Amino acid sequence: MKIHDTGVSRRAILRAGAAAGGTALLGTLPATRLWAQEPQKPAELIVRAWGGEWVEALKRGVSDPFTKATGIAIRHDLTEDNEIQPKVWAAVAQNRVPPIHINWDTTTNATKSALRGVTEDLSDLSNLAGTSELSKPVGLDGYPIVNTYGYVYVLAYRPEAFPDGPPKSWKDLLDPRFKGRIALYNDGIGFHFPAQLAGGGTLADIPANMEPCWEFCRKIKEQSPLLGEDPDFTAWFQNDEIDAACTISTNALAAKRNGVPIAWTVPAEGCKFDTDGLWIPKGLPENELYWAKQYINFAITPEAQQVWLDGLGLPGVVPGLTPPEGLAGDPSYPTKPEDFEHLIRVSAKVQVENESDWFARFKEIMQG
Amino acid sequence: MTDMPGPVSRLRYPLGWRVMDALERGAGILWPRALHRLTGWLLIAPALLLVAVLCLGLWRIAQGSLHVLDRATFLPAEAYTLENYRTVLDSATYLKIVWRSLSGAFLTVVFTLLLAFPYAYMLVRTPSPFVRKALLAVLFLPFFIGQVVRAYGWLIILGNSGVVNDALGLVGVTPMRLLFSFPTVVFGLVQYMLPFAVLLLAPALTAIPRETEIAAGSLGANWLQVLWHVTLPMARPGLVGAGLVVATLALTDFAMPAMLGGGSQDFIANAVYDQFFRTADQGLGSALALVLVALGSVLVGAVFAAFGAGTLAMGGKR
Repeated sequence: MKIHDTGVSRRAILRAGAAAGGTALLGTLPATRLWAQEPQKPAELIVRAWGGEWVEALKRGVSDPFTKATGIAIRHDLTEDNEIQPKVWAAVAQNRVPPIHINWDTTTNATKSALRGVTEDLSDLSNLAGTSELSKPVGLDGYPIVNTYGYVYVLAYRPEAFPDGPPKSWKDLLDPRFKGRIALYNDGIGFHFPAQLAGGGTLADIPANMEPCWEFCRKIKEQSPLLGEDPDFTAWFQNDEIDAACTISTNALAAKRNGVPIAWTVPAEGCKFDTDGLWIPKGLPENELYWAKQYINFAITPEAQQVWLDGLGLPGVVPGLTPPEGLAGDPSYPTKPEDFEHLIRVSAKVQVENESDWFARFKEIMQG
Repeated sequence: MTDMPGPVSRLRYPLGWRVMDALERGAGILWPRALHRLTGWLLIAPALLLVAVLCLGLWRIAQGSLHVLDRATFLPAEAYTLENYRTVLDSATYLKIVWRSLSGAFLTVVFTLLLAFPYAYMLVRTPSPFVRKALLAVLFLPFFIGQVVRAYGWLIILGNSGVVNDALGLVGVTPMRLLFSFPTVVFGLVQYMLPFAVLLLAPALTAIPRETEIAAGSLGANWLQVLWHVTLPMARPGLVGAGLVVATLALTDFAMPAMLGGGSQDFIANAVYDQFFRTADQGLGSALALVLVALGSVLVGAVFAAFGAGTLAMGGKR
């Protein structure tokens, strides 16, 4: 795994957590006994989530079992992560109760909220002891966020468009026959780092010299790529609008499960590896804060992770999970040290500090 | 001894009158007669309050635009600066987006008016109630469907595997990319704006006496001359009003560029969204929002100065 400025070793990422006591299952204990002396239960907790396959997996793996164990209903708020962010920030700034109890967020976005000081510290969650170091946000004190799994921005493709086998390099997308047939995220997220390498640069130059990345983006622009969000990619593959896309493997997997002929690969330059996590905004009443923490604590038990991440097809932060069917050894499901060799991880701190500039530069090229 | 009018006589007044009397007495207590000269202000007070709230919001946005984002804390820096405006002006991307928004709005106005005028004319002039109702139904059915749903409809119709490409395939034409371009965005905007334009044009055309056109024809003008010298000049207030409404709606549109533009045809509203929600830079987003407000205001002011307010003047002086 190519790790840039993270201070985390590959071995450390994969190292199993200790303290088996912390992994006690909420679902296997009677709720009345487990929380007999606990604070008053709220009628419901609101969890912001991504829609489609994402929320269904969360519901199956975490929310429904949590409700069964505690009796607390879980409402999923499908407001986009970027849109809930200013609402939460405004609520905290105005000393109002925030609109959600738990935010399921990208680690980069969550880091912005942590830097702004609107996140509760989650260091006291007992089940953290059973997680790998991947659950710990890099460059932040304590646990303002708990990372819950990792994911890869793979190169997804239609096999029939690549009769000679999977694309071996991101540069394969420059073939004229793919003009107008490739797709990227509309802010370029997931593509910047492999583009840096495909453009002849090095990861060590990030963020000081990203010119190779922009040069490669300019070449990709000549291919008239489509720019969109998660749901767009599935629709575009389904409607035969594109042949290849840089997207999170979960979206490709969801499309495949829906019958779209699609495969994915990690090209020679590598793919971006990142994490998502759960965090709690400040300003909740004490009892609701307590139960929100319990929700996150439950989300990092092996049982919850197994079901949740089976749905997403992603590797979790608890060691020993069984890969979903067909994903063992898949490049989008890294579990062993060698699986990480072609994956690129840049610290959330570097991303947070430079993301706006990267987005602006990518837009500048693509809006031409 | 005369008969005194008893309780029965009071029943001569209907119940409705007595209710109204009671209401009037109540209103007299709440709003004494001495204040009646201010009744007009009272009636427009809610509207003024709404405008005041909007102005307050605009003021807060203006204040926000004068602070850059501190990326160490993701809070606005304390210092006041014009840096966000400098960023907008120095950015080739934003200037391109501004130009695209303006040209998109202009083209939308031109095509919408070209389509709306004959439609509205037929709607007003047809002697057949059935045809008029049919035209209204055809016009308003898509009006009741939201903009986002309509844009999705176009994604289905114009997609590579869509209805249009399927039809073209029947005559041997290979599928072609019809979506995700500037013309597609303008097309979507025109389709969205058409009902607005027809609604604003129809009253102006109704106000043109048919006899005037007949008189022009009886004096030797052919239909084209009647249209050019009589109908169009007399319909100008409607054209100006419709053009203004369509221009401002198109200039500030978000959904059509976002959905039909394939991510590379952003308008200003999309750029504002990106700054507020994607990069959390509310200062830059505020500066862009004010640029959009300024552009819209200048556009409307210029049209008012050149052509008057059209039907938007509501019969008042220009």
